Amino acid sequence: MNPAGIPLKEPSVSAAAGDTGQLERAVIDASTRVPVLIFYTSAVAWLILGTLLAGFVSFKLHTPDLLSDISFLTWGRVRPAHMNVMVYGWASMAGMGTAIWLMARLCRTVLRYPLLLVAGAGFWNLGVLLGVGGILLGDSTGYQWLEFPSYAAIVLFVAYTLVASWAVLVFRFRRGEQIYITQWYLLGAFLWFPWLYAAGQLMLFVVPVQGVLQAAVGWWYANNLLFLWFGAIGLGTAYYMIPKVIGRPVYSYHLATIGFWSYALFSSWTGMQRLVDGPFPAWMVTASIAATILTLIPVATVGLNHHMTMQGYFPLMRYSPTLRFTVFGAMSYTVFSLVGVLISLRSVARYVNFTQTSIAYSHLGLYAFFTMVIFGSMYYIVPRLIGREWRYGSLIKLHFWASAYGIGLMTLMLLAGGLLQGTSMENPSLAFSENVESVLPYLRGRSLSGILLTVSHFIFAYHFGLMLFGLGRKSTVPTFLNPVEAEGAEVAH
Amino acid sequence: MKGLAPLFLGIFGTFAFSWVGLTVIPNWQIGYLNPQSDEEGTDIYPMPQSGMVTRGARVYAANGCVYCHSEQVRAEYTGADIERKWGVRRSAPRDYIFERPVLLGKMRMGQDLANIGARAPKEEESPSPTGGASPGPQGAAVSSGAVASAMAASPPPSAGSPSPASLAAATAPAASPGSPAPKALESPAAAASPSSPLPGGTVAAGPGTGVASPSPAAAAKASPAASPATPPSPAGPPWPEQTAGLPPMYSAAWHHVHLYSPRSINLDSNMPSYRFLYQARRISDARSADALQLTSSDAPPEGWEIVPTYDAKCLVAYMMALNQSHPLKEVKSAGAPAAASPAASPSPAPGGQPPK
Repeated sequence: MNPAGIPLKEPSVSAAAGDTGQLERAVIDASTRVPVLIFYTSAVAWLILGTLLAGFVSFKLHTPDLLSDISFLTWGRVRPAHMNVMVYGWASMAGMGTAIWLMARLCRTVLRYPLLLVAGAGFWNLGVLLGVGGILLGDSTGYQWLEFPSYAAIVLFVAYTLVASWAVLVFRFRRGEQIYITQWYLLGAFLWFPWLYAAGQLMLFVVPVQGVLQAAVGWWYANNLLFLWFGAIGLGTAYYMIPKVIGRPVYSYHLATIGFWSYALFSSWTGMQRLVDGPFPAWMVTASIAATILTLIPVATVGLNHHMTMQGYFPLMRYSPTLRFTVFGAMSYTVFSLVGVLISLRSVARYVNFTQTSIAYSHLGLYAFFTMVIFGSMYYIVPRLIGREWRYGSLIKLHFWASAYGIGLMTLMLLAGGLLQGTSMENPSLAFSENVESVLPYLRGRSLSGILLTVSHFIFAYHFGLMLFGLGRKSTVPTFLNPVEAEGAEVAH
Repeated sequence: MKGLAPLFLGIFGTFAFSWVGLTVIPNWQIGYLNPQSDEEGTDIYPMPQSGMVTRGARVYAANGCVYCHSEQVRAEYTGADIERKWGVRRSAPRDYIFERPVLLGKMRMGQDLANIGARAPKEEESPSPTGGASPGPQGAAVSSGAVASAMAASPPPSAGSPSPASLAAATAPAASPGSPAPKALESPAAAASPSSPLPGGTVAAGPGTGVASPSPAAAAKASPAASPATPPSPAGPPWPEQTAGLPPMYSAAWHHVHLYSPRSINLDSNMPSYRFLYQARRISDARSADALQLTSSDAPPEGWEIVPTYDAKCLVAYMMALNQSHPLKEVKSAGAPAAASPAASPSPAPGGQPPK
C-alpha cells in the first residue's frame, strides 16, 4: 500500500477510485463510523462544558466574589470539575475516538464488536457525569487529577475495560506483518492506562498508602496520565497524520524505535519533580528530575523524525487543516518538554514551585500538544466517517488561530505570572498579599486568552455539528484552508 | 518492529519499572512510619486525628482549598517559607502519617497552612475545657485591639496573659452584631450569661470556637469597614494583618469570620467567601455562643445571627489542628529553636491537637 491517500491530491474517502487499497480503507472507515462518532460527539459536548467551566474558573480567580455563595459554584469545586471534564470528558474521549479509528485502519480490519465500544462510550460518559456531579456536590476526593469519587471511578474503569478489550481483540484480527509506529504508542496507551488507573485507585482509596506517599502516588498518576495516556495517543496520532497527509514515509524507523522506548522508559519515571523540596526522600525527586532531563532523548528523536519527514513539505501547512494542527501540536510537544525540563531543575523550581507555572505546564501538554493533535486528527477523520467535507475552510482557519493565539497567550501569561509570583514569594520582606496581587494582572490576561479559546471551541463545535447533521460539503476534494492553485484542483470554498 | 512479544514485554516492563521505583520502593522506605515518642512514651507526635478533624479534612478537600493553599514547609535553604513564619522547621513525612487525604498542595494563591493551628493564639489550644473561661472578664484589655494584635502576632509566653476567652464571658446575651452594645462588654453579669457556658458536646469546638466568637465587644470598636487599625507587630506574620474589632488572628472565631467574609479581614484577599458553610437564623432567646462577630457591612439584620454549620466547625477544627511545630528527631528546627518553638514545647498534648 503506497501512500496514495494524499488528500491534497486525492481524497481517499472516495471509493470510486477503483484502487483496492482505497476501497479497503473506505470500508474500514465506514465500519468505524458509529462508535468513533459517538466518542467524538461526546467529547465535543464535554469540551464545550469544560470550556464554560474554565472561563468561570478563570474569572472567579481574580473576581472571588462572583457567585461564591452557591456551594456548587464555589471556585474550589468548579476548578476540579473543569479539569476533570477536560481530562476525562474531552481529552480522553476524543483521544479514544482517534485511537479506535487508527487501530482499525492500521490493523486493516473492519471494526468488529462495535457494541463493546458503544457500551464503553456510554459507561464512560456516565462515569464522567457522575464524577463531575459528585465534585460539584462536594464529593471530591481532594487528590489532584483523581478527584472523582469512587462510584464514578468504578464506572469509568468498567467503561475503560470495554474499550481496551476491544483494542486487544482488534489487534488479534490485524492483517499484515508490520506493526506501525502509531500502533506501538496506541497499544502502550491502551495497556498502560488501566494499570495506572487501577494502581492509583488502589493505592489511594482501597488500601491507601501512608501519609505523604498519597501525594507521591497522586503525582505519579497525574504525570503518567499526561505522558503515557495522552502523550502516547498524541504522539502516535502525529506519527500517523504527518506522513499520511504529506504522502511520504516516516523519515527514520530506527529513530522512531529509539524515541518510543526512551519515551516509555524515561517519561514514566517523571512526576516526583513536582514535589520538589517537599517532605519526601530526596532520591525520589532527584530520580524524577533526572528522568525529566532524559526525556530530552525522546523529544529530540521524535522532533527530529517529524522534522525530517516534513522537510520540504512545510508549505503544505498552508492548505491542510490536519497538517497545520498536527504540526503545531508536535512542535508544542517539544516546547512542553523543554519547559518541563526547565521547571524541574532545582534551581529554577525554587522560583516557580507553588505558582501558576504548573498550570501553564499542564495546559501546554494537554492543550497545545495533545488537543491540537486531536483537533488535527478530527479534521482528517470526521469527513471519512460521514462522507462529507468540512463546510467552511474559513471556520477551520479561525478555529486554528483562535486556539493557537489563545493557548500561546495563556502559556505566556501563566509562565510570566508564575515566575513573578515565585520570585516575590521568595522575598519574605514582601507581604504575601502583595505577592498574590502581583499575579492578578496576569490572571486577567489569562482570562482574555480563555475568551479566545472559548470562541475557538464554539466555532469547532458548530462546524462539527454541521458535519454531524450531514450539512458538510459534498465533494471529492477535502476542504483546504487556502485555495490550492498549484494542483489546479477545485478551489475549496 | 516485528514480533509482538518484545513489544508487549517492553510496554509492561517499562511501566513496571516506574511503578516499582516510584511507588513500591518509597512505600517500603517511608510507608510504615510510627509516631515519634520519647523514652517515657508520654510525648507522642503526631497523634491520631479526632473525628471532627477528619471530617474537616474532607470538607477542606471537597471545597478545593488545596488548589490555593499548600500544607508543606520547605527547608530554609530551598525557600523563604520559614522566614515567612509559616513554620519553624521543614515538613517531614512523619508529620503526615495520620492524614488522609494528604493535602500537600501545589499552589500558593493563599498562604501555606501547614502550621496555621500553631499560629493561633495560645489560649485557643488550652486542652482544658474550662481553661478558656477561667481567667475571667478582661474586656477592657481586649477591646483595645492592640492586645489582640500582639497576642496573635507572637505566641504568648504564658497562658496567664489576657485571654481572648474572656470575650466569650463578656458577651451580653442579647447583643447582636448589628448593633453591638459597648456597655455590655463591661457588664460583669455577662460573664455568667447563658451564652457563655460552652456546650462542649463537640470536641474541638469546645475551647476553640466558643472562646472568642461572640465578641460584639470587639466589634463595637470596629470602624465600619475593615481597616487595619493596629500596625502589625514587626515579628508577626506579614499577612493578613490583625484588624481591630475582629477576633485574634488565627483563632477559631477569626477563621469563621475569615471564611464567611475574607475581605472584611483583608481587603486584598483573593479568597472566595464560603457563606454556604454558614447559616443565618433568627435569634430566639439568646445569641448563640458560636455566632459570628461580623462588622457592619456583613452583619445580618437585627435579630438575626450567622452561625457555622457543622461542616464549617469541622473545617475550622481541622485548620486548628494543622500544627507541625513539634520537633522531629529527623529534622533540624530552623532559626533559634529555643525561642521559636514555645508552642512546640513538649507538652503531653501537643499544641493544636484539640482534646480527643
